[in-house]
Amino acid sequence: MSLRTGNPKLRSAAWRISLWATLAFAFGTMLVFVFLQRFVENDIKRRSDAWLSGEVEVLGNVAERTPKNALYGRVVREVAELAGREVPNKLPSDSESNNSVFFLQRGHDDSLQLWVGAGSGEDTLRAILTSRMLPDQPTDVRVKGFAVPFRVACIRIDDGSQIYLGLSERDELRVLNSLRIRFLLLWLLIVFFGFAIVFSTTKRMLSHVRKITEAASRIGHSDLNTRVPTTQRNDEVAQLGLTLNRMLDRIENSMHQLHTITDSLAHDLRSPLTAMRGKLEMSLSATSHGDQAEPIVSAIEELDRLTEFLNQSLDVAESKADALRLTRTPINLNELIRVMIELYEPSMAEKGLQIHFHTPNSATIEADAALVHRMVANLFDNELKHLPAGCTVAIRIQTEDDSVSLIFEDNGPGFSPEVLPLLFDGRVKGRGSDGHGLGLAFIDAVARAHDGTVTAANPETGGAQVTVTLPLVSSENIVSFNAVHAAN
Amino acid sequence: MRLLLVEDELDIQGFLKRSLEEAGYQVEAAADGKTAERLAINGAFDILIVDLGLPDQDGITLILRLRELGVRAPVLILSARRSVDDRVRGLEQGGDDYLTKPFAMAELLARLRNLLKRKNPSGNEATRLRVLDLELDLLRREASRSGQLLQLTPQEFVLLEYFCRNAGRVVTRSMILDQVWGMRIHPDTNVVDVHIYRLRGKVDSNGQQPLIRTLRGVGYVLKDR
Repeated sequence: MSLRTGNPKLRSAAWRISLWATLAFAFGTMLVFVFLQRFVENDIKRRSDAWLSGEVEVLGNVAERTPKNALYGRVVREVAELAGREVPNKLPSDSESNNSVFFLQRGHDDSLQLWVGAGSGEDTLRAILTSRMLPDQPTDVRVKGFAVPFRVACIRIDDGSQIYLGLSERDELRVLNSLRIRFLLLWLLIVFFGFAIVFSTTKRMLSHVRKITEAASRIGHSDLNTRVPTTQRNDEVAQLGLTLNRMLDRIENSMHQLHTITDSLAHDLRSPLTAMRGKLEMSLSATSHGDQAEPIVSAIEELDRLTEFLNQSLDVAESKADALRLTRTPINLNELIRVMIELYEPSMAEKGLQIHFHTPNSATIEADAALVHRMVANLFDNELKHLPAGCTVAIRIQTEDDSVSLIFEDNGPGFSPEVLPLLFDGRVKGRGSDGHGLGLAFIDAVARAHDGTVTAANPETGGAQVTVTLPLVSSENIVSFNAVHAAN
Repeated sequence: MRLLLVEDELDIQGFLKRSLEEAGYQVEAAADGKTAERLAINGAFDILIVDLGLPDQDGITLILRLRELGVRAPVLILSARRSVDDRVRGLEQGGDDYLTKPFAMAELLARLRNLLKRKNPSGNEATRLRVLDLELDLLRREASRSGQLLQLTPQEFVLLEYFCRNAGRVVTRSMILDQVWGMRIHPDTNVVDVHIYRLRGKVDSNGQQPLIRTLRGVGYVLKDR
């Protein structure tokens, strides 16, 4: 089956559906997470900015009110350190070496008046002087030696100096990072589970579709007894199965009707033919004079031709409807041709025709013996009737990997070009032929019933060529075929 | 030989009865399954001819019913149907035979003889056949007429053997194709006639009394008188 070729997993629709569904799902959830993270980030920033603005104001007040004596530095430092302990989002482990907060007082001559924080504060002052700061608006300041920027708020006090309060964004970023990592893990988990669920669901659904396909492909030409599997659920797939089965019911019904029609047609025609033939035979046996017997004899011969025509017409009609009933047995094609040549050789010789049979190896097909015998006889009859004296018929059997071709070639006048495309229609008769023109249509019918083909051509080298190609049965298949029959 | 003929078409029944009686059978006829059943149980028949399409029941059902009732006689099934029913094949394997309509009377008679022969095998097969002055050695595959050896091909010998076994009886082309070549085909060419013509040229040569007669429209017969 074609479904089984290539990499079955990657070719299956379940794989494609779940891949696309997962991609869409992953993209959507990623968008949601990005939005959430933005929201959290802004909120954290807003909170720390509010804290900074509040604290810098408090520190400004303290700095203004504290008298500028020897204690001034200590008091302000004390207050600034206190404020530093209440930093939002701060991790408790960092409480010992608090370098996430700094307090800086800048004199009106841009000198460092007071510094609370890690290091000397010179770098920080330089960074502050080079960046444009707006009052009442915390700003990002990058300080040499620190990987993470500081958020700095500033306030101007009465003595003309400015007070800066800086808060490292380190903790903030850490919170956001851990949030991001959690989001990512959660996202991967959700996407993975989403994929697994979609894949297993579609796979289960589509495996049912595949079962239906397999069952449907098993339903052969005239074997319509099989039905596709159905489920209890009332989903689309189950309805597909039910619809297919209803369709098969209808086809089986019409096939049955066709058989009934051909059977009753055969019956209704054969019964009077039987009676006629019997009566003619009786009157023939009662007649002793030759001249009286002649019309009776020719009537009997006409009846026999009519019977054969009836049989072949019905076979051709049934085969065109893919309804020809077969009883398959193994047939050795070489042996069959050999016997047929023995049968036809005297008639051929009588007409001045020669037969050559060439075959490199033996070929066995699994086919309906009665039909194949009649088909091969038709091929011989065809040559015998249409070939002028002195011609040669060459018969070849060619085996391919899984098929065998039976080729009849002659060096006669060939098919006339105007009938060549119509040969298998059953309406074409050769000039001067006394047959009913069904010969090749019947050959085509038998080949089709066995999943084979027939071609007719006038090769370049002259003459006519008819090729019947039938599926080959290898020796192992015959063994298994017999084993199956023995098991039955 | 007592024969029960079960055939609903009176036309066919009529000519069959007459022909069979001419051939030496004592024939009783029935037109439906019920009558056939009654007759078959009461009369001891040697052989039955049953048509498949009976008005009241299927021919196969009748045969199976008769077998249940203890009727052991072989059955020749007549069928006008297109396909050979699998059940008919089953019966065929059980020692019965079938024939599709229309048929040649000679073929019907030959099949009846075969069925009766199968029922009462004549014991050891003869190794020599003799018809008038024609003699066949079946082991050495040699034929001679009036003591003169005939130059026959193996195929011609088989054909002549078939004629000798049916000496005095009509054989049709279909019967020859079936029995000698093992094929149920109906060629619309004269293939069989040419074989007979060649055989006749060898058997009835140089002014001897012709043995193989052609009955046109019927078949051939090997004279035994």
